[in-house]
Amino acid sequence: MCELCMKHGAGRKWYLNAQHYSDKIVEKYNLRDYLMEQYKNFEQVSVRKVHGFNGVGLDYKLRIPVIGRIIKHTAEKMLHSTKPPANPLRAEGHIGQVVPLEDGIAILEECAAEPMINKNCMCRYMSRGEKEACCINFGVMSDIIEKLPRFIPEKDKFHLTRHEAIERFTESNKKGYIGTIWFGPFPYINNLCSCANPECAGIRPRLDFDIFSIYKAEYIIQLDHQKCSDCMLCVSRCPFKALTFDRSKKEVRLDIYKCYGCGICRHFCPDSALYLTPRDSIPETCGKY
Amino acid sequence: MKKKTKISIDYNKCGDGAGVDPRDCCICLRVCKPALFLLHQTIGAEQKDPYDPEKWRVIALWPSLCSLCMSCVNECPVNAITIVQ
Repeated sequence: MCELCMKHGAGRKWYLNAQHYSDKIVEKYNLRDYLMEQYKNFEQVSVRKVHGFNGVGLDYKLRIPVIGRIIKHTAEKMLHSTKPPANPLRAEGHIGQVVPLEDGIAILEECAAEPMINKNCMCRYMSRGEKEACCINFGVMSDIIEKLPRFIPEKDKFHLTRHEAIERFTESNKKGYIGTIWFGPFPYINNLCSCANPECAGIRPRLDFDIFSIYKAEYIIQLDHQKCSDCMLCVSRCPFKALTFDRSKKEVRLDIYKCYGCGICRHFCPDSALYLTPRDSIPETCGKY
Repeated sequence: MKKKTKISIDYNKCGDGAGVDPRDCCICLRVCKPALFLLHQTIGAEQKDPYDPEKWRVIALWPSLCSLCMSCVNECPVNAITIVQ
């Protein structure tokens, strides 16, 4: 189990600890006002200055010898912050984890606070100008998002029942979107998104700039070579490039160090050759998130 | 030392200053393979309705990922993008 589970899971995975979804947290930290202010100007979060630095050209700033390390450390410290949320214009305590389909459904069935809504993903909008209704939000978010017209889906249903939310999430997952669950801000969980790389503002900093913005899943994929027919559908679909075709052995190869455990490759495999196993059950990946 | 790529967008041609709303176009956002552009509300601008801002801009957020394919420069209908190394 990852660090977040150990510290905040109360014996379970952190995202299955129902306390994190409670309205009591909203009242305690006045999150209604905080989140309203944050989501009003969400697209600006990368361009606003934090301690004099903003996200523009951050990739070059990270390469500067000493200052680059300090910037990376500051950004990670802000994302992983467990202090009471103070500034809504920064991405404080905004940390998350990849979840496979089964854990996403468990979250929606057991923990997520109603009312649930389906909203247009902000990351897709700010990086592609596209409105795609693949983000499921819970709890106080319905009060906030209904005041922001650009996030309300035009063709899809806005308010969802628990059952509809599960169907929606399953549909997105089977299309090849990565399930992710987020603290926003710590300790409130309100967002189960279906992400894509490179559009996701949580996944891309880790893959392209090595900033620890998201945890790998509690699971990892395993490949059964006996069942695999080398059709390579999984290779073309893996967003983390963990599956490749080994030309010398003429078989599909899985790199367990690159696998994030999102599990979407399983949906495309016609031979059921891919399956999930807990990350901690394999010595090489145990504790490596 | 490798040269840095500088991508600049002329806000006199695209954005709230030019009278062109980037949300209606979004071509550079879509053609860029590594998705290095960002659409955001203009910082510090007076918005008529803070809940539904109408002044938006596009900025090149991660210029190091630019592969110099020039698709954005070629496809921009108002020629607002310049890429220099």
